[in-house]
Amino acid sequence: MLTLIDGIEAFIGRLKAIHPLLPWLVALLLLLPVPHFTANNYQVYLINFICIMIILATGLNIVKGFAGQVTVGHVALYAIGAYTSAVLSTKFGMPFYVNLPVSILAAMIFGVLVGLPSFRLEGAYLALATLAFAQAVEVYIRVTNYLGAASGIGGIKPPEFFGFTLRNYDEYYYLVMPIMLLAVYASFAILRSATGRAFMAVREDPISAASMGVNVRRYKLIAFVMSAFYAGLAGSLYAHMLPGYVHPNNFTVIEMVTVLLMVVLGGIGNIWGGIIGAIIVTIVADITREYYFYQLLLFGAVIVGTVLFMPKGIGGIIDRYFVNRRFVAARELTAVAKRGVVGSASREE
Amino acid sequence: MIVDFLVVGFSIGLVYAIVALGISLIYSGLDIVHFAHGEFVMFGAFFGLVLVNDSGLNYPISIFLAMIFAGLMGVFVERVFYRRLTSKGGGYTVAGMGMIICGFGMAIILQNVAFLIWGAEGHAIQVDFGTPLKIGTVNLPKSYLWILCVSVTLMAVLHFFLKHTKAGLAIRAVAANKDIAYLMGINVPLMISLIFGLACGLAAVGGVLIGPINYVQVEMGYLILIKAFAAAVVGGFGSLPGAILGGLMVGIFETLGAAYISGSHKDIYAFLLLIAVLVIKPTGLLGQLAKSKA
Repeated sequence: MLTLIDGIEAFIGRLKAIHPLLPWLVALLLLLPVPHFTANNYQVYLINFICIMIILATGLNIVKGFAGQVTVGHVALYAIGAYTSAVLSTKFGMPFYVNLPVSILAAMIFGVLVGLPSFRLEGAYLALATLAFAQAVEVYIRVTNYLGAASGIGGIKPPEFFGFTLRNYDEYYYLVMPIMLLAVYASFAILRSATGRAFMAVREDPISAASMGVNVRRYKLIAFVMSAFYAGLAGSLYAHMLPGYVHPNNFTVIEMVTVLLMVVLGGIGNIWGGIIGAIIVTIVADITREYYFYQLLLFGAVIVGTVLFMPKGIGGIIDRYFVNRRFVAARELTAVAKRGVVGSASREE
Repeated sequence: MIVDFLVVGFSIGLVYAIVALGISLIYSGLDIVHFAHGEFVMFGAFFGLVLVNDSGLNYPISIFLAMIFAGLMGVFVERVFYRRLTSKGGGYTVAGMGMIICGFGMAIILQNVAFLIWGAEGHAIQVDFGTPLKIGTVNLPKSYLWILCVSVTLMAVLHFFLKHTKAGLAIRAVAANKDIAYLMGINVPLMISLIFGLACGLAAVGGVLIGPINYVQVEMGYLILIKAFAAAVVGGFGSLPGAILGGLMVGIFETLGAAYISGSHKDIYAFLLLIAVLVIKPTGLLGQLAKSKA
């Protein structure tokens, strides 16, 4: 086990030394044949859904983990993305490659709306404002006839490129998976960039960040718009996935809790943790689908338990493991070096 | 016509005000926003339902008992779960996400526990209030009178308790500064439990009061929570008179909006009011400056 992890780490390091993008390419190649190892169609659907959830959780991590803004209304942006795509596809007959950017744009505009209160509000107040926003969006969808009200919008066409239609889950996977990898890569790139450092400065202390020349308002807004980009992307991809049907029940407070749980369980601000959280939570949610209310009970208990006993989440545990290992390795190295020095010194005597 | 709507809005607003009072009390005492407060409203309503419909107790006694039960429940939840988080940051305050997320999770847990006990369908608390009062052309159902009487009495008692008793003084001292309250020999953890119990008891009263008018069901807490939040924010978070004023405003605004703009969008108006106040004047009408990092 240990040697395996060592080997993988060394392998990734070697790939990175050749070109920084190479590990991602290898990941893409490794993920390509996944649908052919599944037992049935439903599992492919689940994998697609996991990819969408990873995009959503990664987006939430940007605003919540990097920039430290407490937003709970992320699902509303996801819903806006999905419904924009649904309306464009069914009411205007637009193709997928138009719907996707328009949905993302719509979500980003609403992202600005959600982000504006963050100029003046902190912590709990911001959570309230975003919660109210999410609730308003959900209620609005549920009672507006144009948006399908309580029956949802069906018959959203699957994506079509140059006469080639993505008719089943297997084919859709080859659209969703690369986008997911790209989104995850982009979030790492953001974290490493000057923007990412500004986000973290804003998170740690807005006042000292401002005194260091970081435009706090601007970076808060950028964080919100970026996460809205991810949410719109996820929403549009979800709307176009088979069976091409969106329903207000897919964007309720339950989904809000599920996405929150992904990020919290994975560790707030930890991208890999968020991905692991998304995978675990989606699979567990699927297994326990029949025990609907017990499932929510479990999710709530896990959220409370994680916050109380494991505030850094799974990602925190993994991080600590790697740091520990590096520390142990460094200590062994110095021990060996010391022994060598002592040995040579005694020989000289 | 408009007087009828105003009466309805005023009464519903009083219920929101009671719940918002609890939220403001917790906020001023512990510096946390309690996201599971709506679930205590729901539990209170269900306690009232069981006491009135199944045990056949009369209405005022049920209100009182539901208040006690929910208060004890609140103390339990605070002691067992929240205390671990709130005691981490040196004092009893915790800024940031932990408490919000924990409250959210707790709300989900409580909601589903209630579902496992009482099921999903809605019930009405069956109380015979008698015929509506007629004042001029206005029909005044007695359930609204009950809301008025109970909530005004409660507010008066709360005011008396906070301003004129020793325990109330201690609570205000804890709200002002926990360290100094400790030095003055106040049992701060006990007072915090008391604040939490009081707030949850108030929430339960709100639930029992609204029970005969609206249906009592598992998912009712969430909407009431956001409206009470709206009330607390409109009036100014942490300010008790502000909570009452905000509650009345939200109730009347919502009822008039439902009557004259669109009934099916009723639940949105409170949120719009909340967002508008948060953006324009985050401190609310009667609030002091929001506590911020300095």
